Amino acid sequence: MNVRIGMLSFAHMHAYSYAACLKQIADGSSFGVDLVGIADDDPVRGQEAASQFDTRFFPSVEALLEEKLDGIVICAENARHRPLTELAAPRVPHILCEKPIATTLADAQAMIDVCAAHGTRLQIAFPVRFSPPVQRLKAILDEGTLGRIYSVKTTNHGRMPGGWFVDQALAGGGAVLDHTVHVIDLLRWFWNTEITEVYAEVGHSLLHPGLGIDDAGLLSFKLGIGAYGTLDSSWSRPESYPTWGDVRLEVLGERGIARVDAFNQNLGLYSDQTGKGQWVHWGSNADLSLIRDFVDMIATGREPFITGYDGLKALEVALAAYRSAERGEPVSLPLAMGAETAPLHPSERAIPMAPLQEEDCTGAGGGEA
Amino acid sequence: MRRVGIVGAGLIGTWHAARWKQLPVELAGFYDTAPEMAAEAVAEFGGRAFDGLDDLLSAVDMVDVCSPTPHHRMPVLAAAAAGKDIVCEKPLARCLDEAKEMVAACQAAGVRLFVAQVVRFFRQFSQAKAVLDSGALGQPGFIRAVRGGAPPDPGHRTWFADFEQSGGVIMDVSIHDLDYAHWCFGDVERVFARGLTFAGVEPYDHVLITLRFRNGAIGHVEGSWAYPPGRFHTRFEIAGDQGLLEFDDMVPAPLTVTLRSESDGSPQAPGIPRPHSPLASHDDPYFLELAHFLNCLESGDAFLVSPQDGLEAVRLALAAIESIRIGRPVYLDEFEGSVV
Repeated sequence: MNVRIGMLSFAHMHAYSYAACLKQIADGSSFGVDLVGIADDDPVRGQEAASQFDTRFFPSVEALLEEKLDGIVICAENARHRPLTELAAPRVPHILCEKPIATTLADAQAMIDVCAAHGTRLQIAFPVRFSPPVQRLKAILDEGTLGRIYSVKTTNHGRMPGGWFVDQALAGGGAVLDHTVHVIDLLRWFWNTEITEVYAEVGHSLLHPGLGIDDAGLLSFKLGIGAYGTLDSSWSRPESYPTWGDVRLEVLGERGIARVDAFNQNLGLYSDQTGKGQWVHWGSNADLSLIRDFVDMIATGREPFITGYDGLKALEVALAAYRSAERGEPVSLPLAMGAETAPLHPSERAIPMAPLQEEDCTGAGGGEA
Repeated sequence: MRRVGIVGAGLIGTWHAARWKQLPVELAGFYDTAPEMAAEAVAEFGGRAFDGLDDLLSAVDMVDVCSPTPHHRMPVLAAAAAGKDIVCEKPLARCLDEAKEMVAACQAAGVRLFVAQVVRFFRQFSQAKAVLDSGALGQPGFIRAVRGGAPPDPGHRTWFADFEQSGGVIMDVSIHDLDYAHWCFGDVERVFARGLTFAGVEPYDHVLITLRFRNGAIGHVEGSWAYPPGRFHTRFEIAGDQGLLEFDDMVPAPLTVTLRSESDGSPQAPGIPRPHSPLASHDDPYFLELAHFLNCLESGDAFLVSPQDGLEAVRLALAAIESIRIGRPVYLDEFEGSVV
């Protein structure tokens, strides 16, 4: 029997990539998948998406949740992950929620709790774990090839995505929240460890004057395995840059160094039709593997590969970075629940509802979508 | 479930076997003129080691011909006569008459023939074709391609170094790019080539091929078995009147590992970066080409590589060899295969 999937909101542009992946799986693999429908608080956006992916638009979330779904994909604004998860958890047994899991630790914990109370499996969308270069690095690290690990220098650069991503109330933070969680999740996964201390420099409207939210960040951290590292989580790639951004990792150990540029399987395209150079990714589509994994989890009844707790711990590091930047000193982890920093720069902007055209952090949809 | 048998249990035969194992087919086994090769493959991949080609043909629905180039004709003709659908490794044949005979026999027998021009299934090449087809480059005008490395390992694959059997670097290596260029730009009008093929420097071989397409576009293909030891190199670019597309596998890889000293069990020399460019298993080009073959048998759709395409690739390679021999351009509409 086919796995029945619904999608809640297309506010986050990754929804378009995930929907394309669901259609691709439905079109030709051992998994049977039905994209049952889409609900969206922006009916124009929702109807357009439903028509694009040849599925039904549901005017209310509740109506979609009554469709006996096996799984739901939540791609709402960050601050809306919690209320949608609370609606879905009693009715749908599997949830895939876009990152970051939420904007506060209390919201993240509430999502984990409501899913646990209903026996619903909650998975967080960290597709970079499925990037083949990153998976190969994980295997090399597991083999112990580099010996004792000294340091990890990392970046997750991107373009400033605009829209609700720069609205403090909906996004919960700017570049630091948007782009810290992917790499921190990788590091926790690589070594089954936690970040124990964070120092951060955060730039507000630094690269985009007047933006009103943080658009640059540099985290310096300690890991439970005894290594130290940095993460540049800035929206520092201009519109003229040939791709959306990067995920780069340099792991230095006692025996050598491994360097990953996870999305560097590209063709260089220089077209007068766009007036700039572009990189066309030919590597494997990590989003497709993420979605296959989610469907496989449903079909086989196993536990999620990436849990709500993983989402919470990555969020915690981003929140600690904001606190460190505010205080000008390193912050120890874990943070006390509910003690995270309040929004630093509340936005005065109205809530934008228009769909966004740009990709953000993971380059999702750059593949075969 | 369809049953597939592999003829030729060498390197390509085992590569294909690993991919067949991931597809919904039964791997019936292997036939190889060297029985110990078939036995080794069976030990790794399962199935039976067949005593003869006829034994294999009576136990399968599909035949995957992975034997050395001069030994494609016989199993293809036998499989066609037995009514089995066929995958044939590139090049389809060593000479044009054989290739034509094989295509005609499959057509007459009503069996399907898929020539495994695998480069069309490499994601960087298929993605580039999609960009070209999207019109982002405008009208296509120029294609350049490089494929080369050191000579094939003389200890294991001696038939490659024998021009009579392999057709040298043009027939074995550059045929990939000749087929790709033909796929992208259409029919070739003339070929001119210079190289080491007849220079008496075996096992080294090298060629610089010049192509002119019927649509006016120009092509350049370099193939090499004359580079120093090290990484095999592939590179291409496609230029049109509105854009340029580039690929080079010598740019920094998505993953490199460099070690300070010999680590336990690692063959890697200290200080030398080891590049990795991994893909998900469902994006592996050999998996993709065999899955494509299977899907087309199910659906009845045409193969991405038609038998005529496989034949044309052989013709282009032979024309390049002929051009080196005679020192003049070879026009494809007059070229029916040389004796070399």
